[in-house]
Amino acid sequence: MGLKPSCLKGVKTCVSSGSGGGSSEPPALNDKHLKVPAIIITPPTPTGMALSRDTRQPAVAHKSRIAKISGFCPTIVLILTNRHKVDAAKRALPKQPSHIVTLPQQPLTLWLLQGDLGPFNPGLPVEVPLWLAINLKQRQKCRLIPPDWMDVEKLEAIRDQERKEDTFTPMPSPYYMELTKLLLNYASDNIPRADEIRTLVKDTWDTRIAKLRLSADSFVRQQEAHAKLDNLTLMEINTTGTFLTQALNHMYKLRTNLQPSESAQSQDF
Amino acid sequence: MSEAYFPVGPGLGPEENFLSLDDILMSQEKLPSRAEAALPRLAAVLGKGAGAGQGNCLPEGSKLEIPLWLAKGLYDHKRRILSVELPKTYKEGWRTVFSADANVVDLHKMGPYYYGFGFQLLNFDNPENPEIAQTILQTFINRFRRIMDSSQNTYNEDTSTLVARLDELERALFQAGQKGLNDFQCWEKGQASQITASSLVQNYGKRKFTDMDH
Repeated sequence: MGLKPSCLKGVKTCVSSGSGGGSSEPPALNDKHLKVPAIIITPPTPTGMALSRDTRQPAVAHKSRIAKISGFCPTIVLILTNRHKVDAAKRALPKQPSHIVTLPQQPLTLWLLQGDLGPFNPGLPVEVPLWLAINLKQRQKCRLIPPDWMDVEKLEAIRDQERKEDTFTPMPSPYYMELTKLLLNYASDNIPRADEIRTLVKDTWDTRIAKLRLSADSFVRQQEAHAKLDNLTLMEINTTGTFLTQALNHMYKLRTNLQPSESAQSQDF
Repeated sequence: MSEAYFPVGPGLGPEENFLSLDDILMSQEKLPSRAEAALPRLAAVLGKGAGAGQGNCLPEGSKLEIPLWLAKGLYDHKRRILSVELPKTYKEGWRTVFSADANVVDLHKMGPYYYGFGFQLLNFDNPENPEIAQTILQTFINRFRRIMDSSQNTYNEDTSTLVARLDELERALFQAGQKGLNDFQCWEKGQASQITASSLVQNYGKRKFTDMDH
């Protein structure tokens, strides 16, 4: 089963998701040598130092960064917000720099508040955050390379394992749904066999959601007080979260009424 | 995400929520009861104007059907004024029906506020209170699966047949499930990143610019 019940006195439910496959931290880019490119980039603040890159903690952070790049090219203001709201429709882009792009144009380096990006040299692969990769792709300045796990054989293996097991299997990335959607929407020409990948990810998603519902139903039926679900991603939690918490609230109130309550205060008049 | 109106939910418990519309409507449901003491001059008010003796006095022991809010106000532990009987849906016969299969019952017909009303009944001392509480809980648990499945799997369809047999509490849950599903589909279609007019602004019904030129 997807849950390990334990009958505790507390009636709060606790659903925790273990971290999915860890995303590799990008190599620290300390390269400050500008190779006299045609475009001169000036950093937004007078400091010439590179700020250390944040270590990402998914699921709780609320950060916003403003980066301004000016030079001979017109001013580009990049506003990055990273919000994790409960509403499933408002999932934002994950900030893991996990995508490799190649630029066919002139070399470029970006000095941003969160860290440095670059130097981008034409024809050489570089790791960038997802938002930048999508943006560059939309402007047709680069070519995306899909992550390692976005491969038909690997996804088939994951899907079959998901179907066999009763518990949730760890997913290659805690944001596999969002990544699949974005990459297949904007960069499907760079990804081989994109339609099959889409189908496979959808199958895996359906299996996981069905397991989640089954777990929720058995949780309610046995009136457990505590459940632990591993390897759930945020997207799955958000789709069923509202309904489940409301239903469990009602159940909690129903259960507290099982005990005879002490006599209500009545007014004497 | 931002709604124009956040409703106050019903207070599920011995006390109702004062501001909740659901609770106000629920407390209007009638309750069979019996007057324990003579109630002078109240026969006309309580609906027994014709058959009262001695002017307007309501004799002791007469049966009344009064709304819940009135029953709660008049009820007293020393039982001077009123004694309350259970409505038929909470009695032994229906309780066995619920325990047999709760999915089949049309809870909307049983009083659209089955759960809320059942809670309020626990206020009146009654020897069957523990069984009533247990039945309500078991009914909810048994129907939970069906509500979850039906709310999470119908998208853009007519749901009137599905919600027809649910009572108000379950309908609120159904709508929460539908909202979650709609939000997910909206994200999947890519509408989440499009800027749309907020529902608050649309409700203002501002006149358009062209309308003002005449």
